[in-house]
Amino acid sequence: MIASDYITSGKVYLVHHDFPLQAHMYSGLAARWANAAARVGEFPEVEAALYDNQDAWGASGDIAKYVAAAMPAADFKRVEVLVKSCESPAPTSTWDHSDPLAKDPHPCAFDYAVRDDIELGYKIPVQATPTYVITYKGQKLPAGSGTVSWPILKQFFDSLLAQQ
Amino acid sequence: MKSDLSSSKRWGKRLLVIGRVALGIIFIVAAYMKMKPQPAMAWSLASIETSLSMFAMGVDSYQILPVWAVRLVAHWLPPFELLLGVWLLTGLALRASSLIAALMISAFFLAMTSAYERGLTISCGCFGPGEQIGPRRLIEEGVMLLPLALAVCIGAFLTARRENEGDQSPLEVTVGLGDTARR
Repeated sequence: MIASDYITSGKVYLVHHDFPLQAHMYSGLAARWANAAARVGEFPEVEAALYDNQDAWGASGDIAKYVAAAMPAADFKRVEVLVKSCESPAPTSTWDHSDPLAKDPHPCAFDYAVRDDIELGYKIPVQATPTYVITYKGQKLPAGSGTVSWPILKQFFDSLLAQQ
Repeated sequence: MKSDLSSSKRWGKRLLVIGRVALGIIFIVAAYMKMKPQPAMAWSLASIETSLSMFAMGVDSYQILPVWAVRLVAHWLPPFELLLGVWLLTGLALRASSLIAALMISAFFLAMTSAYERGLTISCGCFGPGEQIGPRRLIEEGVMLLPLALAVCIGAFLTARRENEGDQSPLEVTVGLGDTARR
C-alpha cells in the first residue's frame, strides 16, 4: 500500500537498507538472497516473501524455498547461480561494530552493499529491525523502530505532507 | 517533643513541594518533547499534529492497543501530561493530581516491561522519539520516576490526613469554644 499510495505518485521516496542482525542465524544469508534477487529485478517480491515468512526460514534456514516461490522459475535459476557462487559466510552486524568483511578474503560481490548498509546502521544507531529513519526537507527525524500499523504510518505521512 | 514533631512536619511539607514540583516538571518536559515540532518545522498546529502522529507510531510499536486507541492515546496523552504537570505545580487538589500521576507512571512502566519481556526493541516514547526501551530505561522509570510519583501521592494523602486531624485537635476545639463563648 505504501508503494501504490505514496511511492508511485512520488510523494515518498523509499530507501531500503539491510541490517542483518548477528543474533539471527540466517539474516545475512537472507540479505544476500534479496540482493541477488535485486540483480534480476525481483527485489520487492523477494523482500515481501522473506518478511512474511521470517519465522519459517529463520528456524529452518531454507530461504531458497520462499525466494523461489516469489519469482518465475527462470529468474530464480539466475538468482540461485549468483548466491551459490558465494562461498564465504554472509555478513551480519557485529557486537563490536567491526567490519563484517574484514576477515573474508573473497567477499561475495553483493556483500559489499550489505556491509555498507551495516556500517550506515551503526551510525544511526540501529538497535532493532525494522528501524525507520524519515527525512523531511533534508532533515532527519529521530529514528524509530518496531512494527507500525499501516493506518498509523499513513496518518503520519499525510500529516507530514500537509506541512507547508 | 512538640517542636520535633512540627519540624518533621515542616520537612515533610517541604519534601512534598519539591517532589510535586519535580514531578510536574517531568510531566511538562515529557509533553513538550512529544509535541515540539520536528526538525525543519516551525511551531504551528500542523507541526504539533505531525509530532503527535510520530508519537502515535511509537505508541503503536508497543503492540498493545488497537489502532483507534493508539490514535486516541497519542493525541490526548501529551496535552493531558502538560495539564497534569501544570496542575502538580499549582499544588491544587494534590491528592487527585498525584494519584493520577502515579497511576499514569505505573501504566507506562507496565507497558514498557511488557514490551521488554516480549522482546520488542522499540523506542520508549517517554520523552519523545528515539529513546530505546532497555534495562536502563526500565531502571530509570522503576527506581526513580515511579517511587517519586508514589512518594508524592502518599505524602499528599498523609498531609491531608494530618491536616484533617489537626482541625479536630484540642487546641483548635478550644479556640472554637472560645469563639462560641464570645458569641
